Amino acid sequence: MIELQSVTKLYNEGRANQVEALRGIDLTVARNAVTVLKGPSGSGKTTLLSLIACMARPTSGRISLDGELVSGLPESFLTELRRTTFGFVFQRFNLVRGLSVLENVMLPAVPLGQDHADVRARAMERLDALDLAGKAQMKVEQLSGGETQRAAIARALINDAPILIADEPTANLDTVLAERFIDIVTGLRAEGRTVIITSHDPRIWGAEGVDAVIELRDGQITGEFA
Amino acid sequence: MIRWLRRQRSLADYTLAALARRRGKNLALVAIYAVVVFFVASAMFFAAALRSESTAVLADAPEIVVQRLVLGRQDLIGAEAIDKVAAIRGVTDVKGRLWGYFYDRINGANYTVMVPDDPEMIPEPRSVIVGEGIPRARGFTWKGSPLFLSRETGDLKKFRISRTFGTDSALMTADLVLMNEADFRDFFGIAPGFYTDVVARVRNPQEVAKIVEKAGYAMPEMRFVTRNDIIRTYQKVFDWREGLLAALAGAALLAFAIFAAEKASGLSAEEAREIGILKAIGWDTRDVISMKLWEGGLVSLGAFLLGAVTAYLHVFFFGGTLFAPVLKGWAVIYPEFDLSPHIDGLQLTTLALLTTVPYIAATLVPIWRAASADPDAIMR
Repeated sequence: MIELQSVTKLYNEGRANQVEALRGIDLTVARNAVTVLKGPSGSGKTTLLSLIACMARPTSGRISLDGELVSGLPESFLTELRRTTFGFVFQRFNLVRGLSVLENVMLPAVPLGQDHADVRARAMERLDALDLAGKAQMKVEQLSGGETQRAAIARALINDAPILIADEPTANLDTVLAERFIDIVTGLRAEGRTVIITSHDPRIWGAEGVDAVIELRDGQITGEFA
Repeated sequence: MIRWLRRQRSLADYTLAALARRRGKNLALVAIYAVVVFFVASAMFFAAALRSESTAVLADAPEIVVQRLVLGRQDLIGAEAIDKVAAIRGVTDVKGRLWGYFYDRINGANYTVMVPDDPEMIPEPRSVIVGEGIPRARGFTWKGSPLFLSRETGDLKKFRISRTFGTDSALMTADLVLMNEADFRDFFGIAPGFYTDVVARVRNPQEVAKIVEKAGYAMPEMRFVTRNDIIRTYQKVFDWREGLLAALAGAALLAFAIFAAEKASGLSAEEAREIGILKAIGWDTRDVISMKLWEGGLVSLGAFLLGAVTAYLHVFFFGGTLFAPVLKGWAVIYPEFDLSPHIDGLQLTTLALLTTVPYIAATLVPIWRAASADPDAIMR
C-alpha cells in the first residue's frame, strides 16, 4: 500500500517563477489494483507519479510504502527502490535510440550485477509474453508505436517490479492499441502487481479493469472513484 | 566480487554499444586524441632511445679526459702531462689523443678528424676512413673517390677514402674522418710531442672522483672531464631537446583537455536525455559515472594504443622523420641511423598517465554534474 499525507510539491521554490504543482495531497493507493490518476494537462498528475515512484521528493508531507516512510530516505535508498520496486513506462516511452529492443529491455538490470545470460533469458521471456520476441534484435527506432509501448513495458518489468508506473501510456496510440494496453495491464494485475497510470484518456480511466480513478485539478484531488 | 565483475561487464557492454551508436563522432575524437598521444610518445621514445644509445656508446670510453686550458679555452697539451697523470695511483692506462674539427668550405659542414686508438682502424698514409655523412655532404659515392681537404695554409691535400662507417654507428660517426698520426700532424701542423688531450683509465671506477681531485692539485692548469660528466652533458642536451618537444606536446595536450571538457560539459540533448532515462530506470549517479569512465577509458586507451604504436613505428622504423631535427640537432651532416627500440615499463606508464588521465579528469566533472540531475526531469 502506498500512502501520501499532506504532500506538497513546489518547483523553483523561492524564485519568481515558483510553481505549486501539488497542494496537500492525501491519498492511498491499494496493492494489487489498477489506479488511474486523471485530470487535464498541468493538473499535477505527472508530478504525483514522480513522487510515488521515488523519482523526486515532496516539498512537505509524507509518503510511505507498505508502512515504511520513503520520502525522507537518502538518494541511494530511493535508487534501490526504483530498481527493485517500480517499473516505469514513460509518456514518450523513452527507449534509448540506437540500441536494440533486447538491449533496451536489459538496461535496468545493468547496475544489479546479475548473470548476463540470466538477464538476457528474462528479457526474452518478457518480450515473448508481449509478442515482441521476433523483434528483439531490431533497433527501437524501427518499431511501430504499439511495439515501442510494449518494449517499454517489457523494460519496466525486467527486474520483476511489483509496481508498474505508466505516464500517459496511450497518448499517441489508436483505439486498438489502447485496448491492447488495457489487456496487458489487466494481465499484470492478475499476476499480483500494482499498476498506477496517469491518463486523461477516457478509454483508460473508463476501462473495465480499472479499480480506482483519482481526479486531479490544479494540484489537488477533486474526486476519487472506485 | 562476482556481482561487481558482472556489473562491470554489463557496463562495458553498454558502453561499447553506446560508442558504436555515435561511431563517426567517437572515431573523430579518437583520431584527434591519437595525434596528441603520437606527438608526446614520439618525443619520449626518441629522446629515450637517443639517451640509451649515447650511454651505451660512452660505456667503453675512458674514465678521465685531461685538457689543457689557456685563457679558459682548450689548447694543445704536452706529452709530459701523460707522465704526470700516469704517476697518480690508481691510473692504469694513459694516452695522448689527436683529434680536432675541420670546417669544409665547400659545403659549410664541420667534420671531426681523429687519429684512432685501435690499430686496425688506422688508415694507410694519405688514406682516410670517413663517416657515411661526408660523401653524402660532398655529393659522391665513396668508392674510389679522392677526398680533397684544404689545409690552414690554403693548399689542398688529397686523401683516398679507404672505407666508410656503416649507418649502425652513424649517431657517433656520421661526420668523422680518421687519419693516421703522421697525416694528422702534417695536415693540422701539430708538432710531435703535443696532443689535443690526454685520456686515462682507472683501476677502480669508484675512485674517479678521488683521482680527479688529486690530479687537480698536481696540475692546476688542466681540466679533468670524467666519463660521467660527458654522459650527463649528453643527457642534459637530450633532456633539453625533449623538454622543448614535451612543452609543445604538453600545450597540445592541454588544448585537448580543454576540448574534452568543453565537449563533456556541452553534452548533447540526446546524451543528457539518455542519462535521465538511465537514472529514471534505476541507475544511480555512480552507475552513470562508471559507465562514462568506461567510455573515457575505452576512448583514451584506444587513442593511447593507436598513438603509441604509430609513434613507435615513426621513431624506430621511419627514423623519427618529423622530430629528428629537434632531437638530433641541426647540422649540415646529419646522421642517418636506425634507433634500437628502447622502451621500458616506466616510460609507458608515464606516457599512459600523461595522456589518459587529463582526458578522463577533464570529462569527469561535467559528466558528474549531468549524472547528478534529478531523474524526474525526464518525466517532464
